[in-house]
Amino acid sequence: MINVSSLSYTYPVGHSPAIRDISLSIDKGELILITGHTAAGKTTLCYALAGILQHEFGGTLTGEMTFLNRPVSDYSGVSELNQYISMVFDDADSQLIFTSVEEELASGLETRMNSRVEIEERICHVMELCDITHLKERPPYTLSGGQKQRVAIAAALAMNTDVLILDEPTSELDVKATGKIIETLKNLKREGKTIIIVDHSLEGYRYVADRVIVMKEGMISRTGSFNELFPEVQGSMKALYEAPDLISYTEGQNDPLVLISDLKKQYGDVFALKGVSLKIYNGEFIALLGENGSGKTTLVKHFNGLLRPDSGTVRIGDLDAKSASIINLVKKTGLVFQNPDTMLFADSVHEEILFGLENIGSPDPDSIIEDVLRMVDLIGKDNVYPRHLSRGERQRLAVACILAMKPGIIILDEPTTGLDENESDRLMELMSDLQKKGHTIIMVTHNMRIAEEYADRIIAMEDGRIIGDYKNLRGRAA
Amino acid sequence: MSEILQYIPGDSFIHHLNPVIKIVLVIVFVGLAVLSSMIPFLLILIVILIIGAVLSGLIKEIISQVPFLLLLSFFLVLLTSLTVQEGDMLLMLVPSPDGQTGFGITEGGLLFGVILSLRFIVMITSFQLFIIATKPSDLVTGLLVFRLPVDYVLMFLIALRFIPSLQLEAKRIHEAQLCRGYNPGTGITGKIRSLKPIMIPLVANSLAKTQVLGLTLDMRGYRTKKKLNLHQLVFKTGDYLCLILVVLTFGIFFTLHLGLFQ
Repeated sequence: MINVSSLSYTYPVGHSPAIRDISLSIDKGELILITGHTAAGKTTLCYALAGILQHEFGGTLTGEMTFLNRPVSDYSGVSELNQYISMVFDDADSQLIFTSVEEELASGLETRMNSRVEIEERICHVMELCDITHLKERPPYTLSGGQKQRVAIAAALAMNTDVLILDEPTSELDVKATGKIIETLKNLKREGKTIIIVDHSLEGYRYVADRVIVMKEGMISRTGSFNELFPEVQGSMKALYEAPDLISYTEGQNDPLVLISDLKKQYGDVFALKGVSLKIYNGEFIALLGENGSGKTTLVKHFNGLLRPDSGTVRIGDLDAKSASIINLVKKTGLVFQNPDTMLFADSVHEEILFGLENIGSPDPDSIIEDVLRMVDLIGKDNVYPRHLSRGERQRLAVACILAMKPGIIILDEPTTGLDENESDRLMELMSDLQKKGHTIIMVTHNMRIAEEYADRIIAMEDGRIIGDYKNLRGRAA
Repeated sequence: MSEILQYIPGDSFIHHLNPVIKIVLVIVFVGLAVLSSMIPFLLILIVILIIGAVLSGLIKEIISQVPFLLLLSFFLVLLTSLTVQEGDMLLMLVPSPDGQTGFGITEGGLLFGVILSLRFIVMITSFQLFIIATKPSDLVTGLLVFRLPVDYVLMFLIALRFIPSLQLEAKRIHEAQLCRGYNPGTGITGKIRSLKPIMIPLVANSLAKTQVLGLTLDMRGYRTKKKLNLHQLVFKTGDYLCLILVVLTFGIFFTLHLGLFQ
């Protein structure tokens, strides 16, 4: 169906090719999993397969690619190719253009279907497939990251094209939602659709993918069946609760570093936290697990005054987080948000870290900056423009910015989203080191693997409550 | 968080009006408000809009704009009364030596300010009512009927869609910077300087979204949308009633204004 021979491509602003010498043949009804490290050229390959490189981007393209035995450059553009190919991009938010989920799904159908009834049936069907029926009339900005991803997938499915290309469609989904999407893809494959999917968490595709392509530095480095390439169980899809090595957590004797009792928080008429009580001790490495929307982020925002309790108390050391000023709280608790791009604004890495230090009036910032850059392995990048760093480097820079302020407690909100396994492990090693130096680490995540591997205490949340508190016997420190 | 200019789903008479009719109504209301300088006529327009808002169940949204509209009116009246010197002097601020002329608040200036305020109220309210009671896809169809280029229609639509997203993103950035001990400066220079850590990520992140946004539109085949869904453009009783309303409004406009000229 798709035939690619020795395809290379350099972006208009790029110096070296993003993909090099790709040869690939994809048959109708195949499900192909593409994986590889960050910046290995996976997204560029998706753009090539969707005909976007040939028609939209410019840049230098060599080699041949045919779709349905016709050169892709022969098609009149993406506007013609979209009859056969649809694609889900990795940034879910910017794919949602309309102001309600229903309209979003209808938008691609209006040029394809003739009657309202037909369109509505199709929408209902894909909403069920992606488990978003309850979101039908919701505007996109009220959706969580995971919900947005499901809507973006549904919008692509709605168009019912022969080829479906998905670029990291499940990065913000929890295990259950990912399982459901993979199940849906399996059914589509059975209907004869051709599916190309890029993902970092692999295990879920073991019995679904016909072929796995591993990319490295713009080239295909390995290709084969899933079992050939990855005989052992892979990473984060391994659900924790299937093979737990946990015992119930017992509270320490010392004074807790963080003391939360009966914390309640409400947004409008949604009860985000319904009475949370928790003691956290110095030097713990905690993973806070839970499905999307279970209240994890809401909880940690109370640690540094971004949110204030409606009722109940939160004490951080000797500070009352209900009334203490944010500037005093952030000296004790550093929170690193999911997406480093929400904080990077300075012209150089050095200035970026300096910003926080100046805010808290730290003496001798230069030596601190050098120290933290060494810790996060960004030494020598002082003068680089932060947004030119890779995704993993930006994440580490964000950590460095917080680290420089020397908080005793470091909180990471979904630190591994958008990072490949190598980068995730690197970040986690850093956290382990910091734990050894006496920091307390709290990590909000839905990645079971890193929780199991690194944390020594695992707290599970559901629907605004803590439903489990365990000591992890497999954790590094245990 | 208040949502600015977002479609509010509903099932009222205004929601079900043909988008073309709604656009015509907005154009007529805004046009006549600009042309008219008669306070009674402008008040009639406002009353019609309020009735429309009540009928569509959106009166709460319109009322929430009242403080803003009052503030706007206050500044308009202040501006015109200080700049327009016409008619009887109501309040002398700076008397001239001869006692005859001088600088102050005049009847003409005050009247002009009130008229200007009423015009803005009509324009803003009718536009707001139109946007919040019209499904974005209907809006696109409606605007396409008027032969607007599809790219511009989409630009308009996307601008509306991203207002709340930008608000949220700004909030998120603000929180991220607060975690780094960011404190908004004091004084004008401090305020302006403290915008940098918020504005730069906001603009950079928004620009980064544009590529995917454009590609998504193309892949859905939206920009090549040539045929219109005619079944969406059925005219119903409500639409004809609104046409009568348009005619009536014109009627009132001409009677009042021509009556004035005779």
